[in-house]
Amino acid sequence: MKILAIDTSCDETCAAVCFNDRVISNIIFSQIELHAKWRGVVPIIAKRAHQERIWPVIEMAIKRANTDLEKIDAIAVTIGPGLAIALEVGIKTAVEISKRYEKPLILVNHMEGHIYSNFAKNKKGKPLNLTKNILIPNLCLLISGGHTEIILMKNHGDFELIGKTLDDAVGEAFDKVARPLMLGYPGGPVIEEFAKKGKEDRFQFPKLMQRRNDFNFSYSGLKTASVLLIEKLKTEYKEDFHKVLPDFCASFQKAVVDSLIYKVKKAVQKYKVGQLLVGGGVAANNYIRKMIRRDIKKLGVKVTFPNKKLCTDNAAMIGVAAYYKAKRKEFVKNMKNIDRIPNLEIGQKIS
Amino acid sequence: MKINKNREEAIKRAVETLEKRGLVIYPTETCYGIGADATNEKAVEKLLKYKKKRQGKPISIAVKDKEMAKKYVELNEIAENIYDNYLPGPITVVSKSKGKVAKKVEAEDGTLGIRIPNYDLVLDIIKNFGRPITATSANASYKKTPYSLQDVVSNISKRQEELVDLFLDAGKLPKNKPSTVINTILNEAKVLREGDVKLNLPKVVYTNSERETRRLAKEIMKNSVIGKKPLVFALQGELGVGKTQFAKGIAEFLKIKDVLISPTFVLVREYKFTRGKEELTLFHIDAYRLFEQKELESLGFKKMLEKPNIIVIEWAEKVTNLLKENLNNIELIWVKLSYCGAKKRKIEYSRFLIWENQKFKLKGSE
Repeated sequence: MKILAIDTSCDETCAAVCFNDRVISNIIFSQIELHAKWRGVVPIIAKRAHQERIWPVIEMAIKRANTDLEKIDAIAVTIGPGLAIALEVGIKTAVEISKRYEKPLILVNHMEGHIYSNFAKNKKGKPLNLTKNILIPNLCLLISGGHTEIILMKNHGDFELIGKTLDDAVGEAFDKVARPLMLGYPGGPVIEEFAKKGKEDRFQFPKLMQRRNDFNFSYSGLKTASVLLIEKLKTEYKEDFHKVLPDFCASFQKAVVDSLIYKVKKAVQKYKVGQLLVGGGVAANNYIRKMIRRDIKKLGVKVTFPNKKLCTDNAAMIGVAAYYKAKRKEFVKNMKNIDRIPNLEIGQKIS
Repeated sequence: MKINKNREEAIKRAVETLEKRGLVIYPTETCYGIGADATNEKAVEKLLKYKKKRQGKPISIAVKDKEMAKKYVELNEIAENIYDNYLPGPITVVSKSKGKVAKKVEAEDGTLGIRIPNYDLVLDIIKNFGRPITATSANASYKKTPYSLQDVVSNISKRQEELVDLFLDAGKLPKNKPSTVINTILNEAKVLREGDVKLNLPKVVYTNSERETRRLAKEIMKNSVIGKKPLVFALQGELGVGKTQFAKGIAEFLKIKDVLISPTFVLVREYKFTRGKEELTLFHIDAYRLFEQKELESLGFKKMLEKPNIIVIEWAEKVTNLLKENLNNIELIWVKLSYCGAKKRKIEYSRFLIWENQKFKLKGSE
């Protein structure tokens, strides 16, 4: 089954063509440069950029896959979660194509897409992350700009949210701490870069949420501690502040990873699963990949990350998720009243 | 004399009259006032003769600005705050006198009430005169507040009328209340007389934990009217200071079961709650990345105001203008959080003030 998938949930305009779970073409038009000046996504700019780029991006995806819209079997699009006015652009376009070419439409939860990025294969059917068998049930850790979640995957299409952030997502914590450091947007990759040269045990941050017996996360305490520490270091080091920056970034990054690993370990033990799937933009961070892999493997649990290209937002993962939905015949029945769901949760029914 | 045509002449004659220790009746943003040289015993004596029956009651004076006020009174922190934030305007600030005005202008306890009228003509007269003038209303004591010269004349005797040397006629003034009088002596603002200015300074509360910040939010909710007008909380404060904690307190008060999480990524998150039979929504907005109104409007701000919903806006100082435009349709509570250490926070809040140009200002004042 050949699927054209579209994702405009945040600041990337994405289209892909998949054949079953194989990625044939995958086009991502990043808007990060447009938003960098504002240190974050600006909705009006995002909407305009999506509108300008959505058709060229779709055409490129189709062309790279050596096919045309007539030959596509189904259209898939992200319905949420995401930025409302950005989601709308993709949905409107998908509905138009679906009507004009009389193709069935599949609505996909963006977070489900991140999970399925672990299932993606290349053109020849080789797993893109070199993981041949994925055990089900398994646990999924999704870490991105807007989400930090632990999900139990009981079966294809059957998910249960067992833990999430109570305030900021991991990506948000990185981006927000990058603000007073004047490190630009997005904060994650820059902090990772500085952290490479720093000492991660130089500064102590509060242990996050370890007293609570659930699988939820919280980064407000870390954020507060960071702001106060940055202020202190700035007065202490003045123009030499940059010298201490690598140590700060390394210590901060370690505090974030420690909190993730602590909760994931607990969840893996409680649910007794054999495999952990990680996904989301923050899963592209090398340090985080290394630490999670090291600590979770010790528990005898297989750890799987998506191919790096599929960590950040993309439409290929939406196409793969849609393929599994198509197998279950989850097509849109009523083309009227299709509306974006900006707060969509994993496992929530899409009507 | 009518002042609308020959303003320059009016200023000139007023100054001349004051120099000769005469009395001038002048318009202000509240009512007609009567001015005499506040530093001259004889001029003040003449004023008291006009006002009648005024044993021991002090008379406030008008100055042109804070600098001038400092020559005559001692300004403490609270007084400075009021001068910086609300003057010129319909407020009389009582401070400790430096004894540089006529005896009878001061109160018996050595305090002095000072006003900076929000009325250019008066400010120009004082500027040219170079000294403060009395700022009592132009009626005799215990008589009606005068909003036109007719009000003045019809309530005074022939003898009183003869004491007045110059009438500056600006026609009928809008019927604004007399100024609010605030005593600042104890370094706290105590309202002695309430005029159109209701509450003048933000309330200040210190919290020592996230839980206390949430509890304060609940306390404020308890004292708010919910279900009549949209209730907007404008939250302001640095990263990590507890804005989201404050928002969580509001959600807890409304018995919202969902966990309220940061709206930064999606910019606005919605949570349903019921009030009586009506289903309402709590909107939690992060304005950090918004450029003013177009952005907030595109997120459906107008629609949010169609019901008496509750709207919590973080980084609200980015959208002050939009909030100002909607003041008539919303109940606005401004909340400013600042760091006092690792756990301690200073939280200033007010239902009457907005934060603009780096300071608290009265809502609706220009």
